[in-house]
Amino acid sequence: MSTVWKKAFVLLALIAILATAGACAPAPAPAAPQVVVVTATPPPAKVQDTFIFGAQGEPVCLDPPIITDGISSRVTRQVFEGLVKFDKDTFNVVPQLAEKWEVSADGKVWTFALRKGAKFHDGTEFNADAVLKNFDYWRNTKNPLHAAQEKAGQTFEYFKNQFWGFDDASIFAKIEAMDASTVRFTLKDPQGPFLNNLAMFMFVFWSPTSLEKAGTNSCKQPVGTGAYKFVEWKANEQVTLEAFADYWDKPNVAKMKRVVIRNIPNNSSRLLALVTGEVHAMEGLEPRDVDAVKADKRLKLLLRPANTNGYVAFNYKVKEFQDLRVRQAFAQAINKQPIIDKLYGGTGQVAWQFQPPAMWGYNKDLKDIKFDTAAAKKLLADAGFPNGISKVTFDGKEVPLDFWYMPVSRPYYPNPKDIGTAIAADWAKAGINVQLQTVDWSTYLDKRKKGELSLYMLGWTGDNGDPDNFICYFFCLNAKDEPKPEDGFFADKEISDVLKKAAATVKQEDRAKLYQQAEKLIYDKTIRIFMGNNQPPLAFLAGVDGYVVNPTGSEYFNTVVVK
Amino acid sequence: MLRYVIKRVLTVIPVLLGVSFLVFGFIRMIPGDVATTMLGERATPENVARVREQLGLNKPVHEQYLIFIGNALRGDLGRSVLRQEPVTQELIRRFPATIELAASAILIALIVGIPAGIVSAIRRGSVFDAGSMLLALTGVSMPVFWLGLMLIYLFSVVLHLLPTGGRLGASVEFTAATNFLLLDSLLQGNFNVFFQALRHLILPAVALGSIPMAIIARMTRSAMLEVLSADYIRTAHAKGLKERAVVINHALRNAWLPVITVVGLQVGRLMSGAILTETVFSWPGIGRWLVDAIYARDFPIVQGATLFIALVFVGVNLLVDLLYAWVDPRIRFE
Repeated sequence: MSTVWKKAFVLLALIAILATAGACAPAPAPAAPQVVVVTATPPPAKVQDTFIFGAQGEPVCLDPPIITDGISSRVTRQVFEGLVKFDKDTFNVVPQLAEKWEVSADGKVWTFALRKGAKFHDGTEFNADAVLKNFDYWRNTKNPLHAAQEKAGQTFEYFKNQFWGFDDASIFAKIEAMDASTVRFTLKDPQGPFLNNLAMFMFVFWSPTSLEKAGTNSCKQPVGTGAYKFVEWKANEQVTLEAFADYWDKPNVAKMKRVVIRNIPNNSSRLLALVTGEVHAMEGLEPRDVDAVKADKRLKLLLRPANTNGYVAFNYKVKEFQDLRVRQAFAQAINKQPIIDKLYGGTGQVAWQFQPPAMWGYNKDLKDIKFDTAAAKKLLADAGFPNGISKVTFDGKEVPLDFWYMPVSRPYYPNPKDIGTAIAADWAKAGINVQLQTVDWSTYLDKRKKGELSLYMLGWTGDNGDPDNFICYFFCLNAKDEPKPEDGFFADKEISDVLKKAAATVKQEDRAKLYQQAEKLIYDKTIRIFMGNNQPPLAFLAGVDGYVVNPTGSEYFNTVVVK
Repeated sequence: MLRYVIKRVLTVIPVLLGVSFLVFGFIRMIPGDVATTMLGERATPENVARVREQLGLNKPVHEQYLIFIGNALRGDLGRSVLRQEPVTQELIRRFPATIELAASAILIALIVGIPAGIVSAIRRGSVFDAGSMLLALTGVSMPVFWLGLMLIYLFSVVLHLLPTGGRLGASVEFTAATNFLLLDSLLQGNFNVFFQALRHLILPAVALGSIPMAIIARMTRSAMLEVLSADYIRTAHAKGLKERAVVINHALRNAWLPVITVVGLQVGRLMSGAILTETVFSWPGIGRWLVDAIYARDFPIVQGATLFIALVFVGVNLLVDLLYAWVDPRIRFE
């Protein structure tokens, strides 16, 4: 080839490479190019006996009372059952291994009639003795296995949080088996969220025989009564379950012979696995991929009802935030709707109170504060800041006004950096000039815990579908009514007292009124700015039917069919 | 030679001690702690204090280090604070996946890179030379993360030729003895699993091997060009030797040294590149495990995995040095 042609070829190739490199501007890992829908020939259909779910990560452990993460609980939900569960796509609590229950007039004595004929995967019977042995495992620090687990570094975190503590410090005065099929709990005080607590994924029952055999290896050998039994856990790859032939709920025996929960940590890789049919369903869809999934006829989208709230929190050690007018100005200066529309991938809803709309304590009479930049400026001027705010007095020192956004995507803030930037831009129009800050997630949580963040984004995903879990967790003060550093030194006794009263009330109608009252107080005092409730999207192959989304994530695979 | 090898092996000890001290110190200097990360938004001061106490994180740092070193000398690298799994056991279980991937990547890099470099040098200025060096430049410039996703998109989504990730399909049942799946499947005579494992290995190995392939091609070309201009090559031609004999017996043998050096360095690079590749392809190796542990401040895993990677580095460097002596008889070790 002549020299001229060689040079021309090299030049053309260089131009092509540069053009490609320019078009594909490097993005920070782990961001990846948007998946473009391609109408390629779909892979040939085949008869399915296995439902494969693409999970975002690896389970930590498969022993329910010692886990706290949603990835582990996705597996344990299929294997274990409790006295009660969340019904379909609601926060309502319905029977599971208990057929029915009664509560005494003072709210302290709960008697559960247990289901007869339910078996554990190892063939042993579910009965009152199994219930007592499991509660002893959770509650009694002298229980040999409980002690061994703690010595091995495990914690029974949620039992302590939901039921006050262990041993005699717990809310249980007595737990007794009235007969083989009846269990009675006598509480020291009435607990409004008691049933919702029992429906949580941690409070489910092991076969006592298998639990004793597993010992501190219980993370790897789960044995419950669920529609699926555990087969194998290939670390960092997948967990395999198979249908339990002797499942007690005959109409709801598992429709698929096997379930595989596959660990695919990268969101783009997981979506690609879904598109190729290697998985049949996935969680952790990026907001930017939601529209692509909706448009792809091979796929379908389900939105989990909101159980989250993303908020902006004030630190009350900032002198300026102690003035209600300043807090109201910050709230009024944010134009929430465009942020929700554009930065939540079409899955968000504007929020103006803490509870999501589906929760029974939600206050339907409250309306969101109206976005009004001019009104916000006026409020600031009235509060003594006619020229806006860019510096604040934090714990006695004058410092720039830092606004902290999270470094990681969370269910309540899918795009925290973009959302934080949009909020800052809205504030700037009202004269509120913030400096955007962030650190890695662990440090972020640490700083927040110590009350070092002056103004920050964070959020919440509910645990048990009860308003107490949403609001009291944050706004109930301790017995001495001390300010809470982890909540910006919040110390409003009026709100706390209403919430504590609601927690101790058993009748739902009475509790609902108290939570609505609490929401109004939080709203009137602009304790926090609530941005949005997110409905986490799950994507499926079009041929997957029967998947029921639940706001608490309590989703059972026994009803799923893959065509 | 033996004395040299023993001396080099003994230097591993201070190297690993130094690495252990550095990694132990650095991970603890990063703000944020394990208990807070574990508890997430539920990290109240009370809960964090309790979890820290239970995990033994309140002991003085020097005490923690001495306990760690003492146990490490006995092969016990501690337990994951998040999962309570023994780190040594997990390392043994996971490293075959990384080694299998890294070895495949370097094999692809060698099989493609060295011949490409040789031919480019021999046919300097040709279309092949220009084309292969351009490809090499492209290979070096492409981020492995992006390349991985593009390969998945092309070969899995569009062409349906290869799987998107993992080591085997979700429905494949196979019990691995050593966790080197290619080896295990061959030993068990299970050719279906062997081919499945191979199919799953191709894309991540190509993605991971792309940069070393490019670098090895370029280095081979440079080394060959230098050697081909030497007098003894002219002499070999003048003696009437065939091109093949000149290239392989004379030129290549003298061009090996810099190529071996580069290959040795690339093995180290592969360990870090494996982290991204393992993430994209959901490959259950050490790289991804290490990254997750860093984010979670899971100190024992970070310490153990880093020590292991340092050991691999040192081992590969020793191997490279020994290879020098084998390739070039003029090199002798005192």
